[in-house]
Amino acid sequence: MAAASRRNAIVAVAVAVLLAAAAATMSGYPVYLLSLAMINVIAAVGLNLLTGNSGQISLCHSSFMALGAYGSTLLTVRFGVPFWAAIPLGAVFAALLGALLGAPASRLRGIYLALATLGFLQIVQIVIEEFANVTGGVRGLTVPKPTIAGVRVSEYARFLIVLVACALAVWTARNLLASRVGREFDAVRLSPHAAQALGVSVHRVRLAAFALSAAYAGVAGGLQAVVVGFIDPVEFGVSASLRQITFIVVGGMGSVAGSVIGAAVLSALPEVLRPVKEYSDLIYTSILLGFLIFLPNGLVTLWHRATKRFTRGDPAPAPQGSAP
Amino acid sequence: MTDRLAVEGVTVKFGGLLAVRDFSLRVAPGEIRGLIGPNGAGKTTVINAITGVVPLAAGRVLLDGDSVSGLPAHAISRRGIGRTFQHVEPFGELSVLDNVLVGVGRHAQVPMAHAAMATPLARRREGDAVREAMAALDRFELLTYRDTRAAELPFGVLKRMDLARALAANPKLLLLDEPTAGMSESEADRAIAAARGIAESHDITLLVIEHNMRVMMALAHSVTVMQNGAVIAEGTPAEMQRHRAVIDAYLGEEEAADAAA
Amino acid sequence: MTATLFLQLAIAGVSVGAIYALVALAIVLPFKASGVLNFGQGEIVTLGAYAALILTQLALPYPVVLVSILLLGAVGGIAIERVLIRPIVKAPEFTLVIATFAIGLLIKGAISIRFGDSPNTIDGPFGAEPIVAAGLRFNPTALWICACTALVTVLVIAFFRYTRLGKAMRAVSVSAEAATLMGIRVERVYRWSWAMSTAIGALAGLLVAPLIGVNPEIGQLILRGLLGAVIGGFTSVPGAIVGGVSVGLIETYSGVFVGTTFKNLVPFVLLMVLLVFRPQGLFGAAEIKRV
Repeated sequence: MAAASRRNAIVAVAVAVLLAAAAATMSGYPVYLLSLAMINVIAAVGLNLLTGNSGQISLCHSSFMALGAYGSTLLTVRFGVPFWAAIPLGAVFAALLGALLGAPASRLRGIYLALATLGFLQIVQIVIEEFANVTGGVRGLTVPKPTIAGVRVSEYARFLIVLVACALAVWTARNLLASRVGREFDAVRLSPHAAQALGVSVHRVRLAAFALSAAYAGVAGGLQAVVVGFIDPVEFGVSASLRQITFIVVGGMGSVAGSVIGAAVLSALPEVLRPVKEYSDLIYTSILLGFLIFLPNGLVTLWHRATKRFTRGDPAPAPQGSAP
Repeated sequence: MTDRLAVEGVTVKFGGLLAVRDFSLRVAPGEIRGLIGPNGAGKTTVINAITGVVPLAAGRVLLDGDSVSGLPAHAISRRGIGRTFQHVEPFGELSVLDNVLVGVGRHAQVPMAHAAMATPLARRREGDAVREAMAALDRFELLTYRDTRAAELPFGVLKRMDLARALAANPKLLLLDEPTAGMSESEADRAIAAARGIAESHDITLLVIEHNMRVMMALAHSVTVMQNGAVIAEGTPAEMQRHRAVIDAYLGEEEAADAAA
Repeated sequence: MTATLFLQLAIAGVSVGAIYALVALAIVLPFKASGVLNFGQGEIVTLGAYAALILTQLALPYPVVLVSILLLGAVGGIAIERVLIRPIVKAPEFTLVIATFAIGLLIKGAISIRFGDSPNTIDGPFGAEPIVAAGLRFNPTALWICACTALVTVLVIAFFRYTRLGKAMRAVSVSAEAATLMGIRVERVYRWSWAMSTAIGALAGLLVAPLIGVNPEIGQLILRGLLGAVIGGFTSVPGAIVGGVSVGLIETYSGVFVGTTFKNLVPFVLLMVLLVFRPQGLFGAAEIKRV
């Protein structure tokens, strides 16, 4: 088991180093796109923990990104908090609201939970639009350029920060899934009765999943604000939530690898679809429907069928019969 | 000495239907009590009532003299009441090891922050948990299935897993719902021997629902017999085999089965 | 607040509520029969409005447009049920929710591409001249909407009570297995519940178009329809109507008392409160929460 996770760490570090090196040679726009892709990965990882692992449907994941984006940006704009503190604080804000929503919502069944998250999304959108003197309303909010100790952070440095954040997000998620926390998420989804009988508080676990996924979304939102330089509320509607759901459905629900694959592959899509931009939403939705009907367990199952591994956070433990 | 388990006048209703009527039961610490009765007698409902899965319309449940009735199910489990399921309720996508680890997890609490960062504390607790779980697997001869997804296993093996999982949580009182269903005779004997061994060495009290009379005779110190939601007799297994009302209850079931055939 | 204003607002509230009621009803019908909540229902209404636009532009008389939309709606519903819903009707709830959402978005996207976002309008069947009676002003289109909704309500309730298919649908909504054992063809019930649902949704589109124009955003009505369905309890036809009208009234009155900022918030806050404290609404069955 230790050998497998060490191997993963090496692969992850290698990928990160490669990306960093490649980005150093690339011009601004591809680096920008890579940053956005990695931000999508962070958001997808969070959503997968909630929906794929703890089994709770959520249509408002983009709202937590919004809360992180506006929260961190307003801290910077109004209180001068530097971005590297504001973003984590924004994530905490998002997590608190995630817990607030999760407390009652996680007691609800399927469609009622979906409705509650839909309601929450609408409320957040309306608050953003109506309190325009704070949030900039429909016209959006400009995000100050990030600085460290007064020095402007270069675009490449910004990329590295996103890279590190993405690596941390993936690493912490894998650790969580390989631990009691992840097991309880899955247990609560697979058999709440058995989980209860084993002393697991189903409600507390579901609530924790809400808060945790909101934290990841909050980080993603805060980073996105800094990378793009502007917050557009249109980015945080139902379509955005559905796009994130598409990431995890396409990639594979319940697995960090699935989140990464789904988000990475689909983030490339808007670029590929440039020439037919107006059809891109249509294509996204068709992909989602296609996967829901034909490959509901995502691309990661193809990989697993090839290598006969589990569909949970970690690859399969050491071969049978060996010492723990 | 206080009873390990005291069920006093418990009544359970589903809509207008009385599933369990004024049910009372006392089990001493270290005792192995059997709970038998024809199908539909309400045996599983009694377990559901004790573990807080269904609400009590009347009565109360005490563990070592402390009331647990009205507590949420997971809290009752943490007080020390464990159970297995008639249909196992496995975490199907998880491996057998992971299934049992959920049981162990109750006392291997790792704070989320530690788990997320894979701190030395987290790794140590996980290592301890895995060791404990592996020991449980070993006791029930499940090591070969360690990494197999529960959904792929035959029913008899799942029943063993359910036992291992429930015992891994170290309960004071364990309620077993037809633990040997689906097992071959030798499998059943070995599983019951393992369960009995653990119960005796860890001072775990058992309440066992069983249809297999051979197992019940060998395992239980005493037996409570139920029919139509109420107790109709109580005594040693041998006494129950000769008891008029018990024989009628089961004979009635046989006749009904014959009539339907 | 004068009595006149109060009544005028009531009229406005009931009129807009009648549309919400139709949408709520369209949502409740397939949910009652097959347990599928169509999150794409809003787009069915949009389709109805655009169909009305096209047919009106062809200079067809209103009754023809009305009947055509009902028929097209029904046919469309049967097609959707057969092609998109049947493959996933046994799938987990997640799949159903997301798939119906996605279908809705697909329809909205197709409409946006085909027609663009420019607003279109069509006229109501009775003109826009308000009818004045008893000191109150009545918008003829609004009256027409209320009349249609009332008629649909009566027809649907009669359908469930007196027709074989209606009774079959009630049986299936209680237990599909038991219904099959009784010889009911469950698939046929599903198909017709969807047909009714989309026909009513399309009708709502036709009815509402003179009031709010024809544009891809009509689908947002589903939010009010969903709230109406929650208030009514998801399995009750009269509940959906009462719920929808209530949403209309709440919206209209809160606009006066609360100001525009919070007026938009009221329905959603109400939704959240209901979901937390009384998800079964007024008339629904109680078992909503889970472990």
